[in-house]
Amino acid sequence: MRPILLQGHERPLTQIRFNKEGDLLFSCSKDHTINVWFSDNGERLGTYDGHNGTIWTVDVDSKSEILISGSADNTMRLWEVRTGKCLYTWEFPTAVKRVAWSEDDKQLVCITEQRMGYQGAVRIFTINRENPTQQSEEPDAMFHPIASKATVCAFASPSLIVTGHESGKVALYDWQTGEEVAVNERAHSMVVTDLQLSPDRTYFITSSKDKVARVHDSRTLDVLKTFATETPLNSAALSSQKPYVLIGGGQEAMSVTTTSLRQGKFETRFWHLVFEEEIGRVKGHFGPINTLAVLPSGKGFASGGEDGFVRMHHYDESYFRAKPYGDLEVDL
Amino acid sequence: MATAAASWADDVDEFELPKLPKPKQTIDENGIITIEEIVINDDGKKVKVTKKIRKKIQKAVVEHAVAERRQWAKFGKEKGSSPGPQVATTTIERENVILKLTAGNKDVDNEPSEEQIIKDNLKKSGAGQLKCRLCSGGHYTAKCPYKNELAGLDAMGEKAGGEDDFGAAGDEGAPTAGASTIGGKYVPPSMRAGARGAGESMRRPGGIGRDDLPTLRVSNLSQDATDSDVRDLFSRFGRVERVYIGRDRDTRIGKGFAFVSFEDRNVADQARQKVDGLGYDNLILKCVWSQPKE
Repeated sequence: MRPILLQGHERPLTQIRFNKEGDLLFSCSKDHTINVWFSDNGERLGTYDGHNGTIWTVDVDSKSEILISGSADNTMRLWEVRTGKCLYTWEFPTAVKRVAWSEDDKQLVCITEQRMGYQGAVRIFTINRENPTQQSEEPDAMFHPIASKATVCAFASPSLIVTGHESGKVALYDWQTGEEVAVNERAHSMVVTDLQLSPDRTYFITSSKDKVARVHDSRTLDVLKTFATETPLNSAALSSQKPYVLIGGGQEAMSVTTTSLRQGKFETRFWHLVFEEEIGRVKGHFGPINTLAVLPSGKGFASGGEDGFVRMHHYDESYFRAKPYGDLEVDL
Repeated sequence: MATAAASWADDVDEFELPKLPKPKQTIDENGIITIEEIVINDDGKKVKVTKKIRKKIQKAVVEHAVAERRQWAKFGKEKGSSPGPQVATTTIERENVILKLTAGNKDVDNEPSEEQIIKDNLKKSGAGQLKCRLCSGGHYTAKCPYKNELAGLDAMGEKAGGEDDFGAAGDEGAPTAGASTIGGKYVPPSMRAGARGAGESMRRPGGIGRDDLPTLRVSNLSQDATDSDVRDLFSRFGRVERVYIGRDRDTRIGKGFAFVSFEDRNVADQARQKVDGLGYDNLILKCVWSQPKE
């Protein structure tokens, strides 16, 4: 496989996302820009300019019409995917660390950081899709997760928000009441760095700095599968079509210069979802992998690294033929 | 002003440029485009570059929405760019990245560091450890109680025949197969299991190796000191077995250190005490016991 190198960023990547069909890849980085790429040939369609700080997070709706982004300039912005025009800007007292759309494209959830005396908050907005430039400034609901601050979040169901926390806790909140419905305090022992839902939102995968990635049930938050590695993890993604998970991480950025490339493990690792065994690795990045995304068609994946590159991989024929566990097939 | 300045410089450049023929482009019946071009390479030489290109159109059936998005005009920093990927932002990795999916944990891939391999091998060659080649018990193979039963097996497994049973030889069942394939790397014979460790010498065992002689390391030695100079200096204490002066491999100039081996340890000790701190050719010599190679 010959990956396509996307060099649209000058600083470490923070998050990459495919749209529903998988033809567009959105990438955001610490260099204040959001890029959108055609995933099949790596052509850059455009950039979304306007943020004035590290962009921590992006998410696109299922119709690929509206893009949402959260940044360290304390704003969350709504963009028109097609033109790159900024439709609306929300201002918050602190940086926006994570945004996510709901399944029906009507609502979005965002996490703002706990800093400068402000509590970390989770806000839910209903989006006016008819007239996207007219949005309500006030959220539908807002709650403050107690104790540890939230780092990642997503809509587990229309009424429930699943969050990952700095302490390693994973929790489920009813956003209307702000009530903690379920909690798994010991999901991880360190900060949760990524959370990605399965297509049907019944289970999700989390990665953590404690070197472990876990698959949880979306209702009970029970740990279903555990993938233990030897490096801090920054991202984990569920493969589609095949029962694999992709895990990326590596040495902390600050200790990169003191460890060899070999030791750093800057590889995307493929693990088997069911057997919890590592089955393959993809090399390439010169720094830790910060974010991973899988093509919804299951025909490839992209990785964004601390080195500022996005690598778009389209699997070879051999990937689809490979049967690491013989004829044993897993229905997904 | 700027245009004027640019123009005279440009004029000269253009004058210097030799006329190059235009690239020739031909298409053969298989649809392979051949472009022949004559260019000047970095050394200023004219070279002919032949490029063969085969265009293959890949068709894909996609959803309507996807096809429509393909027609979108570029925006932001890409506004006005020509269709297709731009060289500045999109490149294809030259190296082929291989993803091999196999069962079983990939810990085998975690090649141990060089140091670890050496350490492991040293451990395997086991100083002072005894291991019977037949039953892996802690005794000499020759004294194995199961000798009669297992001897036949041993003959089959033993390829590196002629291995002696000298003290430290802690051979395993099949030393060659086990160790020479660590991580698929070549392992020199001296590092393999069953070797006596680094610096294996033909003189040993039995005869006296040079390491067994009491040896002094003399440093801060003058560059000009020769073998005979050093031998003269030390032979007043007793019989000098060997003198070695470290020299630069190419220039043969002394590197400022030497090894002197004596026959008698007491003589060597005496010489060490006398010579350490001695002024010699405007330099103060330092003389210590030589540390045997690890």
